[in-house]
Amino acid sequence: WQKVLYERQPFPDNYVDQRFLEELRKNVHARRYRYRAVVFQSGAVVQQLCSVCVFVLTWWYMAAGALSPQGLFAAALASSLLGYVLFDAVDGGAGRWASGRTRWADLKSTLVFAAFTYGFSPVLKTLTESISTDTIYAMSALMLLGHLIFFDYGANAAIVSSTLSLNMAIFASVCLASRLPRSLHAFVMVTFAMQIFALWPMLQKKLKAQTPRCYVGVTVLFALAALAGLATVSSVGAVLFASLLLAISCLCPYCLIRLQLLKDNIHGPWDEAEIKEDLSRFL
Amino acid sequence: MDGDCGVLWGKVSPWPLGTGDNGVPWGKLHPWLLGMGDNGVPRGQRGLMGKAKSPPFGDRGQQGPMRRTGSHENNGVPRGKVSPWPLGQGTAGSREDKGIRWGAASTGAHGPPGGWARRSLSAGPAGPRRPSPSPAEGAGRAAGEQRCWVYHCSRVAAMVLKVFFPSCCSSAESGILIGRWISEQNSAVILAVVHFPFIPVQVKQYVSEVQRVTKVNVSVLGSWSNSKQEKEESLSEFLEDLGTIFSHEPWIQISKEGNSKFWSCSTLQKHSNNPKEEEIILVYYDQRKVMLSHLHPPLDTAASTDRKADDASKLSAIFDTVAKSKVLFMTDRYDDGPIKLTHWQSDGVEASIIVELLKQASVPACMLLTFLLSVISGICRSRVLKFWPLSFLWSKLSTCEQLGYRLQHLQVISSNKKAQNESQLMRKANIFVSLLIDVALGILLMSWLYRKNRIGHLADTLIPVADNVAEELQDLLQWLMGAPAGLKMNRALDQVLGRFFLYHIHLWISYIHLMSPFIEMILWYVGLSACLGLTMALCILSDIIALLTFHIYCFYVYGARLYCLKIYGLSSLWRLFRGKKWNVLRQRVDSCSYDLDQLFIGTLLFTILLFLLPTTALYYLVFTLLRLLVVIVQGLIHLLVDLIDSLPLYSIILRLCRSYRLAAGVKFRVLEQQDGKPLRLLMQINPLSYSSVVQTYRLPTYSCYPKDSWTSLCKKLFLGELIYPWKHKGEKQD
Repeated sequence: WQKVLYERQPFPDNYVDQRFLEELRKNVHARRYRYRAVVFQSGAVVQQLCSVCVFVLTWWYMAAGALSPQGLFAAALASSLLGYVLFDAVDGGAGRWASGRTRWADLKSTLVFAAFTYGFSPVLKTLTESISTDTIYAMSALMLLGHLIFFDYGANAAIVSSTLSLNMAIFASVCLASRLPRSLHAFVMVTFAMQIFALWPMLQKKLKAQTPRCYVGVTVLFALAALAGLATVSSVGAVLFASLLLAISCLCPYCLIRLQLLKDNIHGPWDEAEIKEDLSRFL
Repeated sequence: MDGDCGVLWGKVSPWPLGTGDNGVPWGKLHPWLLGMGDNGVPRGQRGLMGKAKSPPFGDRGQQGPMRRTGSHENNGVPRGKVSPWPLGQGTAGSREDKGIRWGAASTGAHGPPGGWARRSLSAGPAGPRRPSPSPAEGAGRAAGEQRCWVYHCSRVAAMVLKVFFPSCCSSAESGILIGRWISEQNSAVILAVVHFPFIPVQVKQYVSEVQRVTKVNVSVLGSWSNSKQEKEESLSEFLEDLGTIFSHEPWIQISKEGNSKFWSCSTLQKHSNNPKEEEIILVYYDQRKVMLSHLHPPLDTAASTDRKADDASKLSAIFDTVAKSKVLFMTDRYDDGPIKLTHWQSDGVEASIIVELLKQASVPACMLLTFLLSVISGICRSRVLKFWPLSFLWSKLSTCEQLGYRLQHLQVISSNKKAQNESQLMRKANIFVSLLIDVALGILLMSWLYRKNRIGHLADTLIPVADNVAEELQDLLQWLMGAPAGLKMNRALDQVLGRFFLYHIHLWISYIHLMSPFIEMILWYVGLSACLGLTMALCILSDIIALLTFHIYCFYVYGARLYCLKIYGLSSLWRLFRGKKWNVLRQRVDSCSYDLDQLFIGTLLFTILLFLLPTTALYYLVFTLLRLLVVIVQGLIHLLVDLIDSLPLYSIILRLCRSYRLAAGVKFRVLEQQDGKPLRLLMQINPLSYSSVVQTYRLPTYSCYPKDSWTSLCKKLFLGELIYPWKHKGEKQD
């Protein structure tokens, strides 16, 4: 018997020979993960969760009046400058040289941020006056969740859209800032949101690429700081958040590797129907 | 023609000499050819007889020896006694008979009669194209329905000879028939009857002269005998012999015996050796109506236009023939001639001296009018009025549009160029009548206005009304500045917008109060314009409304602009929010990587616009509703103006009083039948329906309404684009 239709054979057309399944292959493209590597990669998710947590905590303290806007602004400015220096120092200026971006352009962007935010802060202050606070909270929570969903964690998927994720974060920060007591608060809040949602991930990405050990340290430190901050507000929340972080960084990689063993993907001399759906057009 | 005649003479006889001994007619000279009347009455008395016989034309009888049995009614065909088609049992048999007969006429050449009838009905030039298998079935329909067979000439042409006979000639005395032979349709259109006695040469000369004047191929078609007593053998022989003198192929012989309604018809074909029985259909037509009516081409769809046009031309050939030979009926030119005719006789030109005088007077009046109009239009066209603010103003005031429109109309009326065709004439008449009625209504309005100091009252009420409107608006704004309908608006923006609009109202009220002493005077002078026509007064009213509600318009424009800005901003920023952009070159949304600062500013603005949108939208909604109210009022006024401007009143009156003047087609009614006699039909004119009268003769107007569909209007309203009652200049380019 031959697997051809163009020759006359003493079998019916729908005859299937015993040899047919000899060419069956299983799990050809399945990857074997190592536990440590998966934990290392899950650092990005942990970092982003911690960023959101820190942002919400900061807003909380500002709204409660425990944190002065000047202090926060000074701290943010100092950390930004530190981060800016680090950003160039980590790879010795190679990235900057590759992108061709000058320091003048950086300064200009900073000025535009500052000027627009400062100019619009009175508007932001009165923007949502007539809207219920619960609506604002719900909207912010939704937007931050969207930010976490669409964030570029390094995976190659259609759902990833860093632009959308950043915009959602800014939207949430504007909404929350409009609930703060004064316009300076709003200005500082939006500036801080830009730093933590736009600049901080860029630095993280560079650290992860250049110095992985350092990145792990920074992640752990950042997560501990976020947990400590959350503990001052609500201990139950802190416990829950810690368990979430642990689940994401330890339990989820373990599950992934265990489930990988159950993978049963068959390949053979037949044509498979592949569904190639372009999800990006829905976003 | 002369050459033709010569050949004929050579063949037949040396006629002009008058002493023909060649044996044809002279040999047995009939007494009629001498100076004797039909009943032996000497010629001299005939004038008196004519007077006695036809009272309406008695005076004409005295004008000369010529006698015309004129008639407006069709005396020959007793219409009252015509077998009513859709009636019951008594006539059913005969109806069937007719149906079969008609069908049989076609069967000889064309197979199944049903198929023939269907085809012929569908091909008529006008009238209902309702397929009906046979005339009998068509007759069975309700009387109200247009029960008519549309005549399809080409189908019948092959086997049936049709004689169109003017019903006014049915009581004419014996003679020969002159008319036009339409060989393509195998039909003869009889125009008149020439009475005995006559001299053939004179008849031929007369016919050729008629041909020259009317450009219609008129010829002698056959003979007509109307014998009050029983038939005389010698007469019939004589009539047959006439056929050889006036050689026509075929020679039609129609004879009426006594008062019988059924005439016998026969044709004589000299050259064809086989004397095949030819079917003849007698079609009576009202000569006056057919002459005066204007056959309208069918308003058909684009498909198969040429074919239908072809069919229309077949019927219109008959109409044309009658209409062109108007000269034959109208002028008294041939009165003195030795030939006596019977046809429809017009009232003549002498009855309308007043009309003639008016015509004479209208020429200088028109010239004066033309001169004045040219001066006025010259002033209007001068460059001073073309500068920006003025020209803009002119284009927005409906009064100016209407004035220009009326000027154009007056120019059309007063131009001394002759109207080339029927429709242009109709257009002129329509314009004239509409202008006349318009002015009459305007003067009526004016006489009402200027009595009992009504203008003063009007002015006194106008100011309080304007004040009232302004106060209502203020209240509305105060309401909007609070929490209207429990909606949560942005307080700061709300206050800003509210104060802005309140200030406008304040400005408006002070303006009105400044104007108030002059309002009465302005109204008084404006009221005078009503003598230019009701439409002018209405247009001025519309403009006054527009001026008095200018603040509402301003509010609307501000609100719409603001709203439009927000909508467009939000739609483009929403794309930025999703990381997309509008690709202008490909007309689609593409993904795009933005810079960080672009994203930040875009999202900031998006958030702000989104939260401010409800406030703006509410202001926009309220002011748009107000604006729409004003626009609807203005639109109704303009609709009225347009109606007066564009309604073809003359055509409608014509349709009402002289419905045959505007023909859409013809229908044939089958008259009583007798076996062995030709089928008799009565041709009646189908009047044009009112809707198509309006459609055909509607005067074009400047249309001042937006031509948007409802969906596009709603879309515009949603997007905050401005809606104008007048048409944009720029929109035409789109």
